[in-house]
Amino acid sequence: MPDLVLSDIRKDYGAVRAVDRVDLNFAHGELTALLGPSGCGKTTLLRMIAGLEDPSGGTIRLGDQDLTGTPAHKRKFGMVFQNFALFPHLNVADNVCYALTISGTPKAKARARAGELLEQVQLDGYGQRRIGELSGGQRQRVAIARALAQEPDVFLLDEPMSALDAKLREEMQVELRLLQQRLKITTIVVTHDQREAMTMADNIVVMSQGRCEQVGPPQEIYHKPANGFVASFIGRANFMSGRVRDGAVQVAGRTLTVDPAPKYLDGSAVTLALRPEKARLGDALPDGNRLPARVTFLRHVGATRDIHLDTPAGPLVVEQVSDRGGDLQIGSEVEVHLPPDAIHLFPAEAAAA
Amino acid sequence: MRRLHWAASLFMGLCAVAILMPIVVVSAAALNGGRSMVFPPQDSTFDRFVEFFVSEPVWTNALGNSVLISFSSAALAVLIAWPVAYWLWRVNDPLSKLLAGLAAMPFALPPIVFGVGLGFLWAFGGALGTIWAGILSHAALFAALPLVTISIGLQSIDRAHLDAAATMGATEGVTFRTIVLPQTLPYTASGFFFALVLSFNEFIVMFFVSSSSYATVTLQIFNSLRNGFTPTMAVAAITFITVSVVAFSLVARFGDLPRLMGADTSRT
Amino acid sequence: MSVEATDPALAATGTQEAPARRVNRSLAGRIVFCAVVAMLCLLPFVMVLVISFGEKIEGAGWVFGFDLTNYRRFFVGADWPNSTSFLYLQKLGWSLNYAVIASVLAVVTAFPFTYFLTRLSRRAQTFWLVFLLSSLSLSEVFIVMGWDILLSARSGLPMVMQETGLTDWLKDVGFFPTLRDWGLASPRNVKFKTSVLATVLTMSYLVWPYAVILLYPALSRLDPALIEAARTMGARPWTVIRTVVIPSVKLALVGSVLLLFVFLLGTYVAVTVFAAPAQQTLAVSIYESVRGSTLNAPFGAAQSVILLVTAVVLLAIGQKLSTAGGRA
Repeated sequence: MPDLVLSDIRKDYGAVRAVDRVDLNFAHGELTALLGPSGCGKTTLLRMIAGLEDPSGGTIRLGDQDLTGTPAHKRKFGMVFQNFALFPHLNVADNVCYALTISGTPKAKARARAGELLEQVQLDGYGQRRIGELSGGQRQRVAIARALAQEPDVFLLDEPMSALDAKLREEMQVELRLLQQRLKITTIVVTHDQREAMTMADNIVVMSQGRCEQVGPPQEIYHKPANGFVASFIGRANFMSGRVRDGAVQVAGRTLTVDPAPKYLDGSAVTLALRPEKARLGDALPDGNRLPARVTFLRHVGATRDIHLDTPAGPLVVEQVSDRGGDLQIGSEVEVHLPPDAIHLFPAEAAAA
Repeated sequence: MRRLHWAASLFMGLCAVAILMPIVVVSAAALNGGRSMVFPPQDSTFDRFVEFFVSEPVWTNALGNSVLISFSSAALAVLIAWPVAYWLWRVNDPLSKLLAGLAAMPFALPPIVFGVGLGFLWAFGGALGTIWAGILSHAALFAALPLVTISIGLQSIDRAHLDAAATMGATEGVTFRTIVLPQTLPYTASGFFFALVLSFNEFIVMFFVSSSSYATVTLQIFNSLRNGFTPTMAVAAITFITVSVVAFSLVARFGDLPRLMGADTSRT
Repeated sequence: MSVEATDPALAATGTQEAPARRVNRSLAGRIVFCAVVAMLCLLPFVMVLVISFGEKIEGAGWVFGFDLTNYRRFFVGADWPNSTSFLYLQKLGWSLNYAVIASVLAVVTAFPFTYFLTRLSRRAQTFWLVFLLSSLSLSEVFIVMGWDILLSARSGLPMVMQETGLTDWLKDVGFFPTLRDWGLASPRNVKFKTSVLATVLTMSYLVWPYAVILLYPALSRLDPALIEAARTMGARPWTVIRTVVIPSVKLALVGSVLLLFVFLLGTYVAVTVFAAPAQQTLAVSIYESVRGSTLNAPFGAAQSVILLVTAVVLLAIGQKLSTAGGRA
């Protein structure tokens, strides 16, 4: 099965540009997460892939087949909707074999296929139930089975976990990932939950304001964010502003070294980003890259704790394993170390909103 | 559930009594044996029912006409309302809004004016006094009712269901047949029953378009009013009340009546 | 606004197969359908308007024309300028009079009822709605028949009052002459036929279930938390209704009065039975002109146009009020 390729896809609603010049390549058999805050255009993009909305420009291709003008019902893409959109007037089995029934598949064959699919999502024996009798998790399984019934070329899921409670969500993420790997089907999941994206995806597309900010595997996105937006949206980050000088960065009158060395011109304004768990407190700090700090707030979160600091460069949060770092109290004067290889630099204007 | 204050319950009870009073009086009069209607009834007998349903051609003909006109016009009203409601829902362009406005107009304006106009229209077309002119007239008058109920039904359909059907290979036609129609069936039925019952009871428009060449039950009663009441007329009234209660109970049984009447469904 | 919130209309077109082709295919069907709807729903009103400028010819017929004779007759009488008659304006006045009083009365009494109704359980509401809808759909003819029995001198309330001695009591306390002054009593007994009171009561009864149905959506959507909030702030029930409930359904109240008013403008049966000959309405006069004794279709049409214009103007005012209220 060939790859799904989007080139220069745009979508305008009047003067509002919902999706702006997106080029993406969805490799066969991989699961890609479209990740971004609400209103970033990820659902619009998914709906264009499904054929539910026409792009204002650009092309959608599946291998050498141009699908741009093909309506949804001719695309053979299965889709799971946010609230599952199960048909309340049909029972579970009829929902699952809907695609087969309307394409004229003999009833017995459609039934058999429905049974098979329900078994795959661990709902065998639920065929005759009414939709109203199902729990949220069961509904989601039915929605998945239904979308897979026509053996789709591409499997699309729009915020598939948002209607589930937190515990069930994590189980279903793993289960969905296993099913997808078993079927080796090209899958695109829209989500605003970075944990969900990290759990399931081969590749993550981080979107903001209709544009793709970064595309890459989860680890790369986390550890090497391409810009301030990605750094703040994926995980947490501390931000400071500084200015490049002589291969280092000046922050609040202090010089911080950065590894690798900044690629910006001397004197350009930059934003520094640092993950809370990378900053260090305590006695045995390495030399250099230290800032004096005062503790303003302590927040214990089970195995870890957040230490909120006031530094000359602005507020800073440090995440530590709870039983390490000794006794700290609000008002304690400490030093914080910012490891050079953990600092990411971005041009100042591209910093996160 | 919240309990009402006793004074509130009393007020509701009094309203119910006031509503029931003329109906009860009319019903009781039906059991009157005499030729004139006196209340309280003097001599109870069910002969009048036989007269109304079986033996008296004036009444049985009128009843036949009423049934024919109300069923046909209600069906026709639904057939007019469906495309308008669907168009309004799918496209919602100025033309569909205009069309919906047109279809609702006869019901919203004083019926006597519409009746006069229909009288002119059918006289002009040479159809005044035909049954089918009566059917078309009532269909036009009551198309607003199924239009409203079907629109409520269509609005209750989750648009994601249509998208879901499309991603599973359904064309608009198939979606309509397999999703839209089954999900709006209770609303269509409600609209049909509303139109049916109101057509059954309608007087003034039918008066102008029938042009005295045939009578429905309400027309027949009005014609007989001048000669004083007869218990047979009261029997007709009982029949009508029964039809209404049965029809609306069916609507309540198969549809969500509070929702149809505009109650918020998000709370129970 | 979020750009992700998809426009339903746009979303809908996505599932249509090549919209342009579909439109072509069904264009003819749509035109025919629109024509049928226009013919059934609009043409009757157009005919009324056109014929109102027509002319009566001897016999029972009329011809098309364009003169304002019928309207002149309506406003200043047929014999103008030799003499002036406001007979038809008076009839319009009675139409307005009955309709205003009856619609206000219906809404004022239906309002508390509906408020209580929406506080009941869903099941009880359904029961009441079936009851109300049945009574609502009951033909004007039957309702008038029922009230006629109830109010007629021979069999109804007057007889009951006579028999129970209530009439004599009224005479004793000296209230009876007052009733006579109000036109509610004959020399010997109270009488309701014919009287303005009976007309208005019957008309009000006629639309009372409509009033409930019209107020029902607004009142049932009223958030109970609003009322509870007001009560926790120490407001007594009546204060809650005055300061919370009525302001939030003000538009529905005004709108209901207007709709019922327009509906009642065309009341025919109740007026013919209960109103005195000198207090008949325009609807009765239309009936007389079109089908009754006078047989002057163009004049009937002209009166219908006046009634229609009155209705449309009032509905437009209502629309204006509600949009203005909606913005505020």
